[in-house]
Amino acid sequence: MRNSPASKGLKEVLAYLPPGLEKILQYLDEPECRELEEIRLRIERPLLLRINDRECTLDNKGRVHNELDRGYLVSEDDLRRTIACIMDNSLYAYEEDINRGFITIPGGHRVGLAGQVLAQGGEVRRVKDFSSLCIRLAREVLGCAKPLFSLICPRPKEILNTLIISPPRCGKTTILRDVARFLSSGGSSWPGCNVALIDERSELAGCYQGIPQLNVGPRTDVLDGCPKHLGMGMALRALSPRVIITDELGSREDVEAVRECVNAGVQVISTVHASSLEELHKRPMLNELLNLKVFSLAVFLSRRQGPGSLESFVRMNDYVD
Amino acid sequence: MLTKIMGAAFVVSGLGGWGLYGARRLRERARHLQELSMAFGYLEKEITCIYNPLPLALANTARFAPEPVAQLFSVSSALLQGRSGITARDAWLTGVEKLSLLSPLEKDDLLLIQSAADQLGASDAAGQRKFLSLIQEHLNIAEQTARNKAQAEQQLYAYGGFIAGLVVVLLLI
Repeated sequence: MRNSPASKGLKEVLAYLPPGLEKILQYLDEPECRELEEIRLRIERPLLLRINDRECTLDNKGRVHNELDRGYLVSEDDLRRTIACIMDNSLYAYEEDINRGFITIPGGHRVGLAGQVLAQGGEVRRVKDFSSLCIRLAREVLGCAKPLFSLICPRPKEILNTLIISPPRCGKTTILRDVARFLSSGGSSWPGCNVALIDERSELAGCYQGIPQLNVGPRTDVLDGCPKHLGMGMALRALSPRVIITDELGSREDVEAVRECVNAGVQVISTVHASSLEELHKRPMLNELLNLKVFSLAVFLSRRQGPGSLESFVRMNDYVD
Repeated sequence: MLTKIMGAAFVVSGLGGWGLYGARRLRERARHLQELSMAFGYLEKEITCIYNPLPLALANTARFAPEPVAQLFSVSSALLQGRSGITARDAWLTGVEKLSLLSPLEKDDLLLIQSAADQLGASDAAGQRKFLSLIQEHLNIAEQTARNKAQAEQQLYAYGGFIAGLVVVLLLI
């Protein structure tokens, strides 16, 4: 397992786990490593893994079990040591990340944190006494957005404003990252262009200390951790992008910023959570966005044939609400 | 006779040297406490102003601090940089252990420095500032007490050694 390319992501994560947990996870077989999506550590609860669509646990000899009560119980010390290692024993240096609820580690893997939250004035002031964490392994699937390329770029030098729509965990982010890489790198049918990637949750480029850990292309500028609406404005003013890519639109400010970009002649490719256009119309902000008719293409994804399955697409010019 | 003179000289210089060594340890303890306080001040700036991660902040403090105080910071920094699942607490306690071998610090001084183990890197910048300032205050008090003690007792040690040597010689003669 240790030397296979499939285990590269897991290997990067193992470096942050205490020796006991590291040893247990090393027993995972290669196919399981390849499909491992999440590792969950909760104090005095069994170690949980999400492998593809399956949730399972490991006992202290590293054997996989579906019954959670046979799993290795995560101790407080395991969690404390993992958090200390992830934060380099420096909570003060990760205050903002902690308040956002997650930390990105080298390799672009995201560690979500849960504990006691102290809020004041509608904002998270502090998170302390951590009780669990969720490590989501970043998975880069080069070429996974290939079926979308001809839809997004129907003619040479033409990019359509595109909305990628799917329920959670259908591979929107992975597809969006590959779209960014393709538009930035270019190919036989596309020369490549400047791309601005507004990565509010550090998921798309998986930046660690500002440097993208995942391949987002040679002409891509990443605004990491930047709120989408601010990032779109900044990119528009300073980075002269041909296309702006961002994840999960939803707020009024986002809608305004998209309109601003499109009116400035910059293409926008983004994602939203929904299963159908009808569902989008039920959400006030997104309904407004659709009514503005800024998007020319809506692409629907599902998990029917694994994450990122292209379910259908709608050319919005032909779409009548 | 020559043997007696040599023996007497040996006893006087031996006990005198022991006294001087004791006096020097008293002075050094106060100096080390002062250097520790300054090093904690430097560490505080590294953490609360520059936001350097703890391993780097400790390494920078080790470069700033004179020996043997620097050992406390360099040993714990090296352990943390090794990324072997070690926590700041474990690394710090190892550093304190190393310092205790090289410095005349007393048990209470070492306990004070050890008390930083649970707090180091474990809170936000404001929390780190508070706790590091508190440690500095305690170190300053300990340093003042050590200076007073050194002033009061170093001459006793320095002369006492020689006097004790002479007394032993006289008794033996």
